[in-house]
Amino acid sequence: MTTDIALMKAMSAKMGYLNQRQKVISQNIANADTPNYQPSDLTKLNFSGVLKKVTGSKAVTMETTSPLHMPAPNQIANAKAKEQKMTYEVAPDKNGVILEEQLIKSNEVQMDYALMVNLYKQNNDLMRTALGRR
Amino acid sequence: MADIFSTLTVSGYGMRAQTERVRVIAQNIANADTTALKPGENPYTRQQITFKNQLDRAHQEKLVRVDDVSDDTKSEYPVKYMPGHPAADANGYVKMPNVNGLIEAMDMKEATRSYEANLGMFNQTREMMNRTIGLLQ
Repeated sequence: MTTDIALMKAMSAKMGYLNQRQKVISQNIANADTPNYQPSDLTKLNFSGVLKKVTGSKAVTMETTSPLHMPAPNQIANAKAKEQKMTYEVAPDKNGVILEEQLIKSNEVQMDYALMVNLYKQNNDLMRTALGRR
Repeated sequence: MADIFSTLTVSGYGMRAQTERVRVIAQNIANADTTALKPGENPYTRQQITFKNQLDRAHQEKLVRVDDVSDDTKSEYPVKYMPGHPAADANGYVKMPNVNGLIEAMDMKEATRSYEANLGMFNQTREMMNRTIGLLQ
């Protein structure tokens, strides 16, 4: 299975993270006019850290041998949505969402996601070549 | 994949809230000249909308909902001199609605911008989904 390959695993972890971040950003944008709302963002994901975790180097992780097994919580990227303490502008109704900032962030997510999908595709092609199906 | 569907839901709720806001603004503008029928009565009172943030516990989504649509009782009614009007008082003055066209226009712009931002998020997320589906090809 492709999910057994460490790099693939790391890439899907990153894609999961990006999906999660997109959700948080869309929450911020939806609440751009809600009084007392402070925007949140996910904690930064350390890609090499994730890779290390999924490849299982150094750290001891539980093995999943059946698709019914759930991975240990520290095995997948587990980013937390944190409320931003400081925003460079707060509206009179105490709303801290700046649409431009959020749109820039969502664009970042978009670009990273495209990168991951392309990498994934490349890897798949590589494997197909190795299997001689081309 | 659950997160991506959540994003669509959250953006959808955002758009719905902004649509409701535009509806209230349209109502205000349409009634900008609606006076009372009898002297002593109040004319149309400007409506204002408030939003609140609601957590959907089942999906852990911070949705935006319309909190309340209430009367704006803080701003005063301007008066107009129209002695022949059925709602004119003893001095010939008629109370006009407290709707200010400029304020409504600005509010409308803001609502449109917010709506567009939500729509942008929706489209971007759809793009991400399409990319993922594209992996199958």
